[in-house]
Formats: sequence, C-alpha cells, structure tokens
Amino acid sequence: MTRPTPKEIKPIAQVAGVPVNDEIAARISSSIGPAFEGFEAIAGTLPFDLEPALYPIAQTAKVSK
Amino acid sequence: MSREPAMMTLTEVARAIAVKQVSSHEVTRALLQRIAQWQPHLNAFMSIEAESALKAAEAADAELAKGNVRGPLHGVPLAHKDMYYDAGKVSTCGSLIRRDFVPTVTSTALQRLKDAGQVRLGTLHLAEFAYGPTGHNAHYGAVRNPWNVAHITGGSSSGSGSSVAARLTFAALGSDTGGSIRMPAHFCGVTGLKTTVGRVSRAGAMPLSQSLDTVGPLARTAEDCALLLVLMAGADPADSTCSHEPLSDYVGATKGSLKGLKIGVPASFYVDDLDSEVARVLDETIAVLKREGADIVKVELPDQRQLSAASQLVLAAEAAAFHKRWMIERPQDYGPQVLMRLQNGLAVPAITYLEAMRWRGPALAAHNAATAGVDAIIAPASPVPAPTIEESDVGGGPNAPAMVQRLTLFTRPVNFLGLPSLTVPSGFTKSGLPVGMQLIGRSFDEATLLTIGAAFQRVTDYHDRVPKLPS
Repeated sequence: MTRPTPKEIKPIAQVAGVPVNDEIAARISSSIGPAFEGFEAIAGTLPFDLEPALYPIAQTAKVSK
Repeated sequence: MSREPAMMTLTEVARAIAVKQVSSHEVTRALLQRIAQWQPHLNAFMSIEAESALKAAEAADAELAKGNVRGPLHGVPLAHKDMYYDAGKVSTCGSLIRRDFVPTVTSTALQRLKDAGQVRLGTLHLAEFAYGPTGHNAHYGAVRNPWNVAHITGGSSSGSGSSVAARLTFAALGSDTGGSIRMPAHFCGVTGLKTTVGRVSRAGAMPLSQSLDTVGPLARTAEDCALLLVLMAGADPADSTCSHEPLSDYVGATKGSLKGLKIGVPASFYVDDLDSEVARVLDETIAVLKREGADIVKVELPDQRQLSAASQLVLAAEAAAFHKRWMIERPQDYGPQVLMRLQNGLAVPAITYLEAMRWRGPALAAHNAATAGVDAIIAPASPVPAPTIEESDVGGGPNAPAMVQRLTLFTRPVNFLGLPSLTVPSGFTKSGLPVGMQLIGRSFDEATLLTIGAAFQRVTDYHDRVPKLPS
C-alpha cells in the first residue's frame, strides 16, 4: 500500500470513529506516509501461508552460535 | 564505606545497607538532599515523597535490626517512571488526562521490587503517555540533561535517565516501545536495558503498544541492571504475554569475560550518517571490546529501514486504539505532538497492521539467520548526541516527524524484532555530552549483553563519571 492521501484518510478516520478535518488528514498523510512507503515492498511479497503466530516460534527458536 | 552513599551503585548500596555499614535512613536522606538541590535544575521527579520515604527507611532499618530482611533491595530508596501503577497512589503517566488517576492495582514489575525491599522515593517524569523521544512534555515541562541542562534527556523515560545520571536514585524503571530506555541511557550517560518482549511482565504498566512495549531498568552499571532483572523477570499470571522461557543467572553473567564472544559490527545503516563524535565513540568502543578479547566481525543485516517502517505502523495503530476514547472526548487535553502521533494511527487500515504483524516472525527469523554465529551486535543508540531542548522543541509542527524519525532511527528496528538491547555509556563528546552504544542480543539472551556490558565497564570509567550541579 502506498502513502494514503488526505482524501483517503478522512473516511478511514471517520469509520474508526475519530473524524478529522482536511488539515489534520493532510498532516497525518505527511507524517505516517513514509512508514507506508517503507513497508510497501514487504507487504507486497508476504506469502499466503503466514501467520502472526510465527513470531513466538522465531523468538524461541534455538539459534546456532 | 568507600564513598558517600549517593555515589554508590545499586549493588554497593544494597550490600552496604544489608551489612549495616550505612542505614537506609542515611541513604534516603542523602538522596533527598541531592534531589532538593537538583530538581529545580532538572525537573526529573513528578513527585517527591520525602516524609513517607524517610518513614519507610526508618521502618526498614528497624526490621533489619531485628534480623528481618525483605530481600536484595532491603531499604534501598528508588524512584520509577510514573507509569508503573502503585495501588492507591496517583500515576499521572505524564499526562493531563491522568493527572489524578489512582490505580487499584500495582504493576507486577514494581511489586517485585517492593517485595525485594525497595523504599519509594517518589515518581519520575516521563513523556506524555510515554510517547515522545526527547523528554519534552507539554504539560509538565521538559526534563533536563544533568550533563548540560540546555540539552534533552531523551524520552520517553526522561526522568529515569536524568535522575539516575545525577545520582538522585540508584536505578529506575523505564519502558521501551521505540527506544524509550535506550535513548535516555545514551543521552544521559547511564546504563539501560531494553528487555526481550515477554521477559518482564507488563501487568500494571501503562500500555502504549501491546506488541512492542517492554519493561526494563536504567541504572549506573550493567551489574545493577542484572540485579533488577533477576528480581523482575519471569512468568506472571497477570500477564499472559509474559514468557515462560527459562531465566538465566544474570548477576553471575556480569562476572564473565569477553574472551570467546563474537560481536558483530553492522556493515551499513547503523554506521551511516553518524555524527562524527558518535562515530568516534563507536570506533573507540569496538577497540576496547577487541582489546578485552572479543572477536569483532562485520555483519550484513537485513534492511533495517523496513523494520523501522513496520514498527511505526504497528505502534501507530496500537497506540491509537488504546487512546481512541480520549481522542474523541478529550483531544484538547493532549500535547500537540502526542495528539499528532496518535492521530497517525487512524490512517493505518487493519490489513496493513496485520501485514506488519504477519511479517514479524519471518523478519526475526531473517535477522537470526543473518547474525548466526555472533553473540551480539554493537551499534550506536542514536546517530547524534543530545540536541538542545530548544532545537528539538518542534511540538506537533511540520518538523516533528523528521525529528522523531532521526532520533529513533537506530532503536525502532530492535523493537519490531522484540530483541533485548543494553545501552552502555561509552564516551563523551568534546562538549561533555555522553554517548552510549547499544548491544543488541538474541531473544531472551539478556545474559550475554550483561556479560559484555559489565566487562566493558570493568575497563572504562564513563559510567562512573558524575555531572556537576549547575551553578
């Protein structure tokens, strides 16, 4: 997903129950936008068979030294 | 007694009280005197509870005289970040919204320190809702760096870093969601341990992000951090996310040597675009570790910027969810920067949040594969030494995201992976500001980090240096 535009942010915030005006939507887009862009490449390649539960497994996996 | 009580480490003062070399009352009084001198300069304490602290210290001395020892911290005065709930006592969380909040429960981490015999000195300042990397607070003012009061302490555990550095408490609890223990440790010249996600219970600690929040100590030495970790770590019925992974002999680990340990130096990212003095301190630290027997190797880490991006999405979404009600009902009661960052979370759709969380396991597995064979990674805690309070006072303005991003650049990836990281004072700039390096370890392997940190501190004195009271 690319950086959300202020126009896209307004309805998302509305649905979340915290409506924002144009100015705040623009600021949110500019502020969190780089995180969306930074994560975009990964999000596009995540395989189907992948669950959040894999994190504790990776966390407790014995790692060779 | 080798030195005046306030100058002792936590380990030393606990021992001195236990063998009646010094009384809890004397130690508490000494700290309260220092607090009275320093607080007007630092703004490090949220509350100072002199009368009750002295009473508790007297009671601890009386118990000790009867042969009753509560635990390893018997009679040791401590203060903690004002987000660890202590039933019946106000916990402001650095906010206006919770200015009068009185919890009905005590946090597990704090309860374990109380059970070990600590005396409550008061509470320490923090960024509003622990959501700020500098130490500014729109409601209660900025906390100041004891090495130069014109400079920031780092946040969000601002009061913890400042008060430990100025010898106003022997140690303090902090919390680390995006760097909030490691940055104050770096900027203030103290030792800070960010624990593995799940190592220390978060029950009764104010939440910011359930996936990223960690509880840990700031103290003068790695040995002191080890002592506190021993007391706090381990499973907790009140926190189902707290791990049952076995604990280590953390204090014993601090006696270990660097010989045979392999420490990785990242080939990129953590060594790019560093302030020249931070780069110098990194080189000097690596040289010391090598001289003491560590094997230094270069490591190629996976893309840390992607980890940082994922970390920001998760934090933004989870923090916004925690704060939704107040964002609707009391937006005017947040400081501008905190409200701005909370509102960022409104833009993160559920699918994006879940994609970030789904990637967490593979990202950690990739990190483990890239670092196979090394015991720890060394990296600066931040690319820069402490900026001034004035230059970093950007509120919720257009420069705020870049400022937050710059300061937290080297801490966020570690939070996303949930790894432990120990920041140790490693040098000073020419103008006298501390610089800290973080040692990033494997999940649940705090012990190795404590071994390295303690070995480094046995041959350096950066952790022993004490800032002078401003005139």
